[in-house]
Amino acid sequence: MLRDLFNIIVKEVKELVRNPTLLLGMIIVPLVVFPLMGFAVQTSMEATEESMKNISIIIMDHDANGSISQIFKDFLENRSITVDEIKTANLDEAAVYAQESNATALIIIPQGFSYNITHDMTAEMNVYTVFRGGGITESASSSVIYAFIESFKRRLAPNPFIAHQESIIKGKNIPISPDVLFGLVMSQSIGMPIGIMMLLMFAMQLAATSVASEKEEKTLETLLTLPINRFTILAGKLTGSILVAVVGAIVYMLGFNYYMNSFTSALPTEIGVDLATIGLAPTPISYLLLGASLFVSLISGLALTVSISIFAEDVKGAQALVGPLSMLLIFPMIFMMFTDIYALPFPLMIVLLAIPFTHPMIASKVAFTGDYLTAVIGIIYVSIFTVAVLYVAAKLFGTEKILTAKLRFKGLRRRKRKTAE
Amino acid sequence: MLTPSRSIALSLTIEAADVVKIFGDVHALDGLSFVVKSGEIFGLIGPNGAGKTTALRIISTLLKPTSGSVKVLGRDVVSQAAEIRRLISYLPEEAGAYKNLSGHEYLKFMAKFTIEDKKIVRETVEVASKISGLEKRLKDKVKTYSKGMKRRLLVARALMTKPRLALLDEPTSGLDVLHSVHVRGIIKQYVEQEGVTVLLSSHNMLEVEYLCSKVALINKGKIVAEGSPTELKKKAKASNLEEVFSKVVGFA
Repeated sequence: MLRDLFNIIVKEVKELVRNPTLLLGMIIVPLVVFPLMGFAVQTSMEATEESMKNISIIIMDHDANGSISQIFKDFLENRSITVDEIKTANLDEAAVYAQESNATALIIIPQGFSYNITHDMTAEMNVYTVFRGGGITESASSSVIYAFIESFKRRLAPNPFIAHQESIIKGKNIPISPDVLFGLVMSQSIGMPIGIMMLLMFAMQLAATSVASEKEEKTLETLLTLPINRFTILAGKLTGSILVAVVGAIVYMLGFNYYMNSFTSALPTEIGVDLATIGLAPTPISYLLLGASLFVSLISGLALTVSISIFAEDVKGAQALVGPLSMLLIFPMIFMMFTDIYALPFPLMIVLLAIPFTHPMIASKVAFTGDYLTAVIGIIYVSIFTVAVLYVAAKLFGTEKILTAKLRFKGLRRRKRKTAE
Repeated sequence: MLTPSRSIALSLTIEAADVVKIFGDVHALDGLSFVVKSGEIFGLIGPNGAGKTTALRIISTLLKPTSGSVKVLGRDVVSQAAEIRRLISYLPEEAGAYKNLSGHEYLKFMAKFTIEDKKIVRETVEVASKISGLEKRLKDKVKTYSKGMKRRLLVARALMTKPRLALLDEPTSGLDVLHSVHVRGIIKQYVEQEGVTVLLSSHNMLEVEYLCSKVALINKGKIVAEGSPTELKKKAKASNLEEVFSKVVGFA
């Protein structure tokens, strides 16, 4: 029996590994797409930082010889902002100039600006941000200008009070603005569920194709007439898929690690905080939990797919049958991307928790939530679910249903006639 | 020493008695009875949907009969299925092989289930390589094979282990004339030299007439005529098996 099992596993692994779609989905996606995503984040963040150093603005100063407007210009220049003054009075002309000259903004200082300020009257200033594509760099540069204007205002008339923004994580005070942390967590909480969904969907399509092509090519029919225990066939098939999936998961974790590191290294260095020490970088335990959760979910997904694909006549049929299963992946992904599962209404939360594929997505957030217990309970739940599905799959493999079951969406009578031949 | 009844049972490779197989409301087999003697090539012929494949699937232990009994080499297909699987080899119609394995890997994979000794596995694969005539192409992946090459690989797989009973569903389908002749020669050789018994189904009456010592014509799940090709032709006053087929099934 062990010999037969080994023989089947070797064959399964060979078949899967030599499948070009597998290479594409399981190796190239995590090893190329993840690093590329990380690279993109890192590069754009570096580009943003770089562009901060080269902010230039156009000033149309109608407040001729105004003392305050001159101080304002000097203030900006002292903060490494290139100030380019134009002598036109026409806004349209200035706008065209600003657009073409790569400036971040056009500032119009009206007549009487300095007079109003020095005489305790409200002075106005128009700031036109030049919109080029709406990227992070633009929005950051524009924020910098507004921040400097605010800072200049405070110099003229100090605020009654200033609110310093800091954060508390896991009960500890961290001297980082929550905006920075929200940005960091957001980019990961959107990226991870998408990545997990992709991996699971891919593995399930692979298993469906593997079982259905055995039926389509009638290799399964041949296999079932050989002196092999039927459970050995199922176990061999699953083990083969699992071995490949484990390699996939490891490769995936490597890609994920790179992706995470790109965030860490992209954080402005002046914050001077090590993400690991504040508990925002994945610890070995959170990696382990995510890996374990991903692994059991993969097995449950594969077992579920195998049980369902048994009913398909061919590869196309199997993909159609497994297609609705992808809803079980997309549904939790959407919720996990935008919200905390425990913030949802109770019935919805229960539905989501019942779906095994929600759990690796929860586990991917463990690094931020520190909620190891939920991840462990999730792993236990998915394991029980998997055993139940495996039991059903084994039962199906032991009967002639594996050959005669042919689910079709129409033409039931035709199906029966075809079965007879 | 064998008792007379035991020796008769042993000389029979297949005993099918009143076999019924129902799928939903369709009677695929409706009281099918026939026997196949050891060492003969028995042909099952009949129109599409007559129940030939269902019969082969029951004998190969893939399906269970709804009622009736089938014995292969004295063993019951339902209660002794595992034992039967050690003695038979089944070639399904239009079957394929694993696309991403090489022909050689496929043969080795299949041989390992019935043979334990590595050396014998190697020799068996060598034999299959000769039967298939694929030789050097066996190193290539199955997905690069033509339909005919695939069929030759599968026929070789079915015969290489010298099973006591080979169930061949349309053994030469998809093969050109030369390769069909080659495969038929191999089947005959295995029966004569290796003591293999063959039950085959075919739509090629020429093939059936050439190969089979006994033929059963099956229609609507029942045997409607049975005998040697010569007997059948004589009984139906026909010049060849195709005519017999048309007359008996009712399209003549």
